[in-house]
Amino acid sequence: MSFEELEHTADIRIRVRGTTLEELFSEAARALMTIVYKNINQGNIRRHVEVDADDTPSLIREFLSEILFVSEVEEMVITGADIHIAGNHLTANLTGEPFSTMKHCGGREVKGVSYSDLTIRHEGDSYILEVIFDV
Amino acid sequence: MLPGIKRVAPFEWEVPIGTVPGMRVPGRFFLSDELAKTLEEGAVQQLANVATMPGIVKNSLAMPDIHWGYGFPIGGVAAFSIEEGVISPGGVGFDINCGVRILTTPLHEKDIVKKRELIERLFNAVPTGVGAKSTMRLSPKELEGMLIRGAKWAVDQGFGMESDLVHCEEQGAMAGADPSAVSAKARQRGMPQSGTLGAGNHFLEIQTVREIFQEGAAGAYGLFPGQICIMIHCGSRGLGHQVCTEHLKVLEGATKKYGIVLPDRQLACAPITSSEGRAYFGAMAASSNYAWANRQVIMHMVRKVFSGMFDIQYEEMNLVYDVAHNVAKREEHVVDGRQMKLCVHRKGATRAFGPGCADLPREYAPWGQPVIIPGSMGTSSYLLHGTNEAMVRTFGSTCHGSGRIMSRTKAKKALSGREVRESLAAEGIIIRAPHDGAIADEAPEVYKPSDEVVRIVDSAGISRLVARFVPLGVIKG
Repeated sequence: MSFEELEHTADIRIRVRGTTLEELFSEAARALMTIVYKNINQGNIRRHVEVDADDTPSLIREFLSEILFVSEVEEMVITGADIHIAGNHLTANLTGEPFSTMKHCGGREVKGVSYSDLTIRHEGDSYILEVIFDV
Repeated sequence: MLPGIKRVAPFEWEVPIGTVPGMRVPGRFFLSDELAKTLEEGAVQQLANVATMPGIVKNSLAMPDIHWGYGFPIGGVAAFSIEEGVISPGGVGFDINCGVRILTTPLHEKDIVKKRELIERLFNAVPTGVGAKSTMRLSPKELEGMLIRGAKWAVDQGFGMESDLVHCEEQGAMAGADPSAVSAKARQRGMPQSGTLGAGNHFLEIQTVREIFQEGAAGAYGLFPGQICIMIHCGSRGLGHQVCTEHLKVLEGATKKYGIVLPDRQLACAPITSSEGRAYFGAMAASSNYAWANRQVIMHMVRKVFSGMFDIQYEEMNLVYDVAHNVAKREEHVVDGRQMKLCVHRKGATRAFGPGCADLPREYAPWGQPVIIPGSMGTSSYLLHGTNEAMVRTFGSTCHGSGRIMSRTKAKKALSGREVRESLAAEGIIIRAPHDGAIADEAPEVYKPSDEVVRIVDSAGISRLVARFVPLGVIKG
């Protein structure tokens, strides 16, 4: 798992790394699910989502917000995302496992994905995302 | 104190114009010397950022529970002129109308002999934690009723008494709710979650009245020493989170459209009178109503458990008051001698209207609006009342809680949930949560001491202490 928790007083701030933008988004989705459900594995439920935004930071905010929505209403813990990004349009084939109160307890409810201090930068051969989740 | 900040009164400090570029008014916050070391630069920067927003009136304010959040600081209060100002979801937060209520019982502390059984019954009655679903099955029409009529809808469905309504801010239903601005996705999240507590810092706590500071006000609010009371803290659940998420995107576009320049995208906003601003207000008011209905339903479950377990009637458990602490409201205030129509944002702050204000039950009018300040887990909670001083200095606002001082990452390293649970049990406080992780996150040590936070607002005169409560048992989300 390539994400780390950074200091933030009220909420959860994380840093995620990926070698491509697609991998970064996919890792961010897994990081989010790990925060909410603590123990996530692999699953074979499939869902398709598409989101649009004005720029890349907005695109990740929209995508992660969609992950929260799908996960909650479909009672599905998303464990993987096959992502395609074209400009500011994203399509993702999600895989996941059914939510179980026994297995997926121990995490924290994320209320939303903030724009505050949301950054994506390219450093060496990796993309780095920093984002704050309201918990 | 951090450099550049100057004291203007014993408990009040000013962040001057120029602290960040584009400030239209100075920032002001309330803090004691004792808590000065807890102030974070990030929180001051956020307070200053809010001061750059169009139409802000007088000051960008923060209460003594100020800490680093996103968009507005937590503890932030800002009022905007209706004609020239803006409305921003960043000034409300994702958990729209997160709030707290307290109800009394005729029981005395000595009547609670089977405390563990009581806690277990409450834990089983109120769905709690991540993924918890309501036992209620709402139809789309019923959800619409919640969005428009709030707590009144719940009372009409049999979840409470007519007299509960006058004991809620806005009578438990904010005017101007526009369900058409609440998307299908938000409704989809809201349908299965009515009457659920949620997770994080949300809780249900059994408390006893340990200390009374003003007998007159305590009597008017129905309190006596040793009395058993129940405090409920939760919000608008996934419905409110989705409304914030979606309208934030719309208002991001509106910020550009109206040529508004902001130092933080989370402050995305639109003129209050614009179509985007009105849509957000309508959706936020509808979400607030969902939250009031939600707390009303949870209170009903609590009353059922108590009246089933003790020799008391459902009707003997009175709601003292219900306050919202993440909300934007249309209010009128006198600013520099002029009556103004304003949109007051309170993000982690509580309305604290003074004696005689409209919308209060008659018996409360001589004292002012009750203000409920939950402590952190295991520490004292307080009831205060609003003051005329608050009307003059803070748009009728005060603090909302203790305010965090330790991040969750540090808390997790410093304390295990089990240790916290066991140390509180040694003090006679039972904690029940879906898992121990939720307990470490909210341990008493991660917050400013609630005693000091309320001492500041009382000393500054923006609210006055009425009573102190200590916890006997806590149900954590």
